[in-house]
Amino acid sequence: MKNIYKFLIVFVLISNSSFANEAVNWLKMEVDFILNAYKNDNITTKEKFEHIEDTINKNFAGAGIAKFVAGQAWASADKDIKKEYIKLFKRHLALNIASMMQGYSDQEYSLTNSKFDETNNITLIDMEIKHDTNSILITWRVKKSKNKFYVIDLLVADISLVVTKRSEFNSALKKIDYNLEAFNEILQNQNKLSYTKIIQ
Amino acid sequence: MKFFIYFVFLFFLISLNKGTLSESSDNVTTYPVDFKTGTFEDEIFDPLEPINRAIFDFNNVADKIILEPAAKGYRKLPSPIQSGISNFLGNLKMPLVILNQFLQGQGSNGIESTGRFIVNSTAGVFGIIDVADKLGLEEKEEDFGQTLATWGLGDGFYIVLPIFGPSNLRDTSGMVLTLATDPINAYAVREGEGEFILLRTSINAVDQRSKIIDEVNALRDNSIDYYAAVRSSYYQNRKAAILNIDDSELTPVPLISVEFE
Repeated sequence: MKNIYKFLIVFVLISNSSFANEAVNWLKMEVDFILNAYKNDNITTKEKFEHIEDTINKNFAGAGIAKFVAGQAWASADKDIKKEYIKLFKRHLALNIASMMQGYSDQEYSLTNSKFDETNNITLIDMEIKHDTNSILITWRVKKSKNKFYVIDLLVADISLVVTKRSEFNSALKKIDYNLEAFNEILQNQNKLSYTKIIQ
Repeated sequence: MKFFIYFVFLFFLISLNKGTLSESSDNVTTYPVDFKTGTFEDEIFDPLEPINRAIFDFNNVADKIILEPAAKGYRKLPSPIQSGISNFLGNLKMPLVILNQFLQGQGSNGIESTGRFIVNSTAGVFGIIDVADKLGLEEKEEDFGQTLATWGLGDGFYIVLPIFGPSNLRDTSGMVLTLATDPINAYAVREGEGEFILLRTSINAVDQRSKIIDEVNALRDNSIDYYAAVRSSYYQNRKAAILNIDDSELTPVPLISVEFE
């Protein structure tokens, strides 16, 4: 009986470790793709961003994050407004990630640690970005669904992108009585501004 | 005696803060319709928001025209010079870091930091070279704000300080205590070199800012409400520093559905 327990513990540990490794390999491939796009001098800045946006849209749980970030404004909005909001949010997310990664394009990085969080069924992957004199730690929260990995959050030096966005959106939404339709207009204008900055 | 009165006054202010404000500041609004578990601070207690926003705008302009260009220039210095300055300033902070570690009951960290301070101040040439890190004596930061939080004081309301940036009532009190008790500053004042404090604070600000140029710019360029984004970031960062726990345990995992991607 004791041996069965031991076997089960070892089995769980091995399967969790291989699950985390699989996620690490996947993440490395996607991060390299984004950073390589920045280093590619044969394409225009606009094309670089399009590649990056496509990668981010494929690999982030954009719609799920959009819903979470909208908070109480989500429940009261119409279907079409929600659809438009998700579309705008996905671009907003891509612009945020792309802008951050742009700064890291000439830095070295390494995936230093990974672990599987059984309680929440997610994999946490630590990435260290090395600057000349210091380094910054980014933790990726990755969830698997239907044999595909999705990034559900990103923590930069203990600061969660999703929680920060929720707080930021809540502050803006509060001023317009949590009207998602009016918020879409604000989001669209911000996206235009961010896009201009990123491709200049 | 002056300092004692000062300390009692601060303690009185903080006690007031604990009794009357911490409860409100810890209020968390959650919407069960969006997630089943976890708590998120959608509402940070910010009764001075209009004034804070005005100071924040001023700080933002000051950052754009003074601090950011200075930090960018600093980043162009050879790496050993940047590291040397950063290590030297970090070492100057160590006496208060050690004191705060002991005040928080972190005995082993306090001993480790004492070793770090001795090694770096001697073998590391006044802290310019981080010899202790190579010996496995890790750098850990603690300040009076964190100590007061460990002793159970609530955040108090959110404040944006001119030049110093985001803070809250507890952390501002901690900052004042730091300025008042720092032995290096006290020595400089005694020797009639008060301007050293200003120089130290300025170089420290440039050094710290140089480490987050990309992150700040990404946040500033892509925020709908930059003020709210900085406020949230500040609270998350301070929570991590106070609790000294792994970030994965710290921030509750948002209940994000990937089923409809």
